[in-house]
Amino acid sequence: MTPHPIQIEDLDFSYGAVHVLEKASLAIEEKEFVCMVGPNGGGKTTLLKLMLGLLEPQAGTVSIFGKAPMAGRKRIGYLPQHANLDARFPVTALDVVLMGRLGKTRGIGPYSRADRAAAHDMLGRVGLGPLAKRPLAALSGGQRQRVLIARALVSEPRLLLLDEPTASLDDYVERELYDLLLELNKELTVVVVTHDIGFVSSYVDKVVCVNRKVRIHPTSEIDENIIHDMYGEHVHMVRHDREHGHG
Amino acid sequence: MGEFFQALLRHSFLQHALLAGLLVSLSCGVVGTYVVTRRITYLAGGIAHCVLGGMGVARYMQVVHGWAFLDPLLGAVVAALGAAFIIGWINIHAKERIDTVISAFWGMGMATGILFISKTPGYGEDMMAYLFGNILLVTRGDLLVIAGLDLFIMATALLFHKQFVAVCFDEEFARLRGIHARFFYFLMLALTALTVVLLVSIVGIVMVIVLLTLPAAIAGRFCLRMGSTMVLAAGICALLTTTGLALSYKPDLPAGATIIVLTGVVYLTTTLLKRK
Repeated sequence: MTPHPIQIEDLDFSYGAVHVLEKASLAIEEKEFVCMVGPNGGGKTTLLKLMLGLLEPQAGTVSIFGKAPMAGRKRIGYLPQHANLDARFPVTALDVVLMGRLGKTRGIGPYSRADRAAAHDMLGRVGLGPLAKRPLAALSGGQRQRVLIARALVSEPRLLLLDEPTASLDDYVERELYDLLLELNKELTVVVVTHDIGFVSSYVDKVVCVNRKVRIHPTSEIDENIIHDMYGEHVHMVRHDREHGHG
Repeated sequence: MGEFFQALLRHSFLQHALLAGLLVSLSCGVVGTYVVTRRITYLAGGIAHCVLGGMGVARYMQVVHGWAFLDPLLGAVVAALGAAFIIGWINIHAKERIDTVISAFWGMGMATGILFISKTPGYGEDMMAYLFGNILLVTRGDLLVIAGLDLFIMATALLFHKQFVAVCFDEEFARLRGIHARFFYFLMLALTALTVVLLVSIVGIVMVIVLLTLPAAIAGRFCLRMGSTMVLAAGICALLTTTGLALSYKPDLPAGATIIVLTGVVYLTTTLLKRK
């Protein structure tokens, strides 16, 4: 049996005295489309960082394709949460995507012809082919997000982790983005962190709720339990929103 | 200006000065662009002021204890690299505010330099040259050292350009792609330290930061990529040092200060023009 893209067992993590995750366990299978939801400060981003080996757990294990995160993360394409990037940084869309080839390309000297071809290819796939030479500063929020997704994809990952990819996007762009992810999901495992459960039910196989504890729900179960897991006492307000969205 | 170019043919000290300015401009354009985009201007300023400590100690040992080999330039290199490494290390490992740490080193470096220089006979001239630069004192030997450091800085930047850009742009992502981000961060600080030392010989410790950052900032207004920014910044730096040197010759002004005022004026002018 091939190892799961993500296998987490009894994970504990705290920042100092603040417990962020307790006894978290989670298994995600090949080619699943998983949505990770939960309140702010509930530990979603922390969980991603543990998967990426950017943080060390106090207890428990994380394995990425059967390896420790530091070794397994080469197979992960990662889109950070509203990446705190300098929009005025002097790079073009293509330059940013090329950074995704680091670690795959040669160590010394410029990027190879093959790297450039792959980066151009990927920009085409996210619908930005004609904008390759455009500076980052001249792109819209949605286009920038696509550039960063292309950067995550150009390393040919088998697992895509996206931390709130739609936070700064309007509804139309958001829908396009999810369609792209669905397309990509034919080839690789996709995990999306989001606040917005509105889209969840129509796309994903599994919903993972992270709020100190981790609970897993098949999509068919999206109901009060999930909402309660996610938002705790604010349950009424959330239900109201949801009725609006889908009513 | 005309007189400057006539004098240039006659006086080797002017030729040395001109050549020093041109050589230093190469590193200045490349490393200045890293410093500006990675926003470590203040760190570079801290390194520059630590250089006084290194130069002061070296000069003291030379004059008072007869350690002839300990050239102030060598002291400057050691102090700059040491400061870069220590400040960088504290930045990563200690949960301190980085600007506070830099301020501490900034002041201690200066103070150490002043203490040693004040105990060195005939210190007045040295002090002025270190603080405000004296491009006219550049010797043939200095030129060789400058060319050597230049070569090292340029070669390193060229070979690892993609890693440096990635670490400047998004360090966390670079690390996830298997780049040893910390190594390249320290390497970048080391290049910054060496460039600061080169610039000290031209404009002095106090004014280094202007020549390190403003040409890159000016170039950044016209360029869309790191590489082109570096080339243009080097060109701008070469033009400004040469023009400053030429302007200062006839009225016998301090060359360093002339270069700095000129650089500042060009920077502010392009800022205003681009705002429209």
